[in-house]
Order: sequence, then structure tokens, then C-alpha cells
Amino acid sequence: MSKLKMPKGSPSLDMTPMVDLAFLLVTFFMLTAQFRPEEAVAVDTPSSMSESAIPVDNMMTILVDSGGHVFWDMTDKKVRQAVLLELGKRVNYAPTEEELNRFANVGPVGVPIQQLNNLLAMDSGVERKEFTLKFEGIPTDSTNNQLRDWITVTRNIFYNDAGQNPIIALKADGNTNYSKVAEVIRIFQSPGIQISKFKMITDLEESRL
Amino acid sequence: MAQVPEGGGGGGGRHEKKRAKKGSTHVDMTPMVDLAFLLLTFFILTTTMYRPSTLQMTFPVPPPPDQPPPPPTPLDNAITLLLTKNDQIFYYYGQFYAEGNPEGKPATTLERTDFSKVQKLLVERNKETIAQLNDLAKQFNEKKITEEEYLAKRREIKGTSRNLKAIIKTDGEAKYRNMIDMVDEMDISGIGSYGVLDSLKAQEQALLDAAKATL
Repeated sequence: MSKLKMPKGSPSLDMTPMVDLAFLLVTFFMLTAQFRPEEAVAVDTPSSMSESAIPVDNMMTILVDSGGHVFWDMTDKKVRQAVLLELGKRVNYAPTEEELNRFANVGPVGVPIQQLNNLLAMDSGVERKEFTLKFEGIPTDSTNNQLRDWITVTRNIFYNDAGQNPIIALKADGNTNYSKVAEVIRIFQSPGIQISKFKMITDLEESRL
Repeated sequence: MAQVPEGGGGGGGRHEKKRAKKGSTHVDMTPMVDLAFLLLTFFILTTTMYRPSTLQMTFPVPPPPDQPPPPPTPLDNAITLLLTKNDQIFYYYGQFYAEGNPEGKPATTLERTDFSKVQKLLVERNKETIAQLNDLAKQFNEKKITEEEYLAKRREIKGTSRNLKAIIKTDGEAKYRNMIDMVDEMDISGIGSYGVLDSLKAQEQALLDAAKATL
């Protein structure tokens, strides 16, 4: 029996360029992708038609979760550390170098100032999250208005450093009662802070994507 | 390393003698390609587009108590929207008149609507302004006016005092989402002057409570 005649050249393709391409793309995606920062708080923002993008830095965010707990966040790591040092002084807490570095990366913070030392002593994010849940966020009541302290200290430190005020953003959960958000806005407006312009962080409406 | 010479193929017999090894150095790249594309697919599929946007808001700081309060804005061309629980909206036009007011005006009654209907209502009330805005947008799209002119004129049209104004008031049961949605509606229906308040007058609250009870 005569064998079927096969073409002489090797049927295998040279895969090398394909590998090159694939790994190039993999590397590109891995390097450009940014992990969503591990957040101590889940905030499901409402959607809006606004298309203006969110600033990447120089932004102080006040978060309000669905239970009405208030959190503070700042994009600038150096400012964060300076804020921790300043607020620590008020409760006789001198953070270690390690704790300072940790604080620079923890994202939103929502515990009373007196508990910051306990919060930052914890190494794992899960523990910190559980610890945060024990408290009602940053106290905002008129007798113990720590949110004011957070805002004024952050603003002063940022202003001394950059010569301008940081961008203020309010990120609240869509299911929060508006009265709680209004309480935060009233703190923004109160004498000594007087923030009248700020950004509300929303999701882009589905239809606009 | 880009190319791996293929051994054992046809031709080149004479050069082959110089080689130390006869075996092929060809590496089968297929599994590597598989792996690479698997990773690629994984990264593409797990990456979600996380695109938050921001809404610029201005809440005027109240004047210090030792200064006289600013004169009240005339409300004859205003709609007051009261946001409350279950995404319900109640509204009335113009000034609020309580039952048995000294001016002898008929008492204000609340109309009920919700987020699916409110847009139609506002657009209907404000159609002149919207027509002007659309006209302007058309001119801009046809490049008859520059962007600066467009924005300036847009502000001008929206700021005309004859336009519909809106006051958004929320009671204790309204959600933050309702307020953001309402602000969005303002933008859609071309209402340039609106304010957000979180406190109701006592009579308004009473009227609203009565209206809520009928739900």
C-alpha cells in the first residue's frame, strides 16, 4: 500500500512570536491593572449622569456607609501620616514607624481617635475590619465631633504643604438616610470649616457606559 | 533566543556535521501559548471597569448669625419636591400656604409622583428652557459657536429668573440615592437654580405625614 503523501515541511508552526505577543499582553494587563484598594467599608454609591472623572490625588474623602457610620480617607500618603501624628498627640499616642506606614495604606478609617492605637496595632486587614465594626464610625455628635478634627487637621496639614485646599469628596451609600448625609454636610458648612463646594462620588449610570 | 533552529529538517546536511549535538533543540511552544492566553483571558475577564464619577455640588455656607439673612428668593415660579420613604415624591408649586393663613390664600395641597414620572413633569413645566438649551446645543454641534460661548450662554439660559426653580426637601426617611437621582433630574430638565434642604417646615411635615398615611 502506498502511503499518503505528506507535505515535506514540518507542520508545526513557530509559536515563538505568539508567545511573545501573549506574554506582552499579560504583562501589560498585570502592570496597568490597579487592584481596588481593600476597603474597610463597603459603600454602594448611587449612580448619576455626571461624567466628570474622579481625581486621583489631593483628595480627602468622607465616606458614609449604609448604616450611617462616617469614615475618613485621604489619597496623599505623607498627609495621612502627618494627620495621624497630629491626631495621635491629642490622645497621647505616638505611632511607631511601622504603624505610620500601615496607616498610610489602610484606606478609609472609621474609629474614634482614642482607638487608633488599637486599630493600627493589628496587622491583618480582616482583623482591622472586624475591629472597626465594633464602633459607630467617626463620632459626629455635637459634644464629641471628631469628624471636625479630622477635616480641620487634614486641611491644615495639606494647606501648609501644598498651599491650597485639598479636594473634598463625599462618598455615601445610596441607601443611607439622607438626614445622616445632611449632618455631614452641615459639618462641612459649619464655622471654621466652611466647605461649600465638594464632589459627591457616584457611579456612572449604566446607560452611559 | 528568538529563533530556535529546527533540526532534522531537509537540507543543510553539510553544515550539520559541524554540530556537536544532533538532537533537535526545538521546544514545543504550544503549552506555553496555552498558559499565556489562559492568563491573558483570566486578567481580561476578572478586570472590572471600576469607573466612579463625581457630581460637583455647592451647598452655600449659611451667613454668620450676626449678619442679616439674605432676602428670600421669590417662589412664584418654583416647584418644591418633598422626597420621602419608598422613593415617593410629593410636590407643590409656588409659595407654601398653611391652612388658615393670614394672607387668605387657599391652602397648599400636595401632589404625588415618583421617580418614573417626575422627569416628564419637570420637562413639561420647563419646556421653553429645554428648547432653548437644545437649540444652543445644536448650534454648538454644528460648530457655529465656540465651547466657551456655549457654556456661557448655557449658564445664561439656565440662570434666567423666569425659569422653573426647584427646592428639593427631604424628610427623615428619604435615602441619599433619592437626593442624587433628583439632582440628576434637575440636570436633565434644565433647571439651573435648585437647592437641597433636609428640613421641612412644621406645617409641611404635617401635610406630608398626612399624605404618607394615605399610601
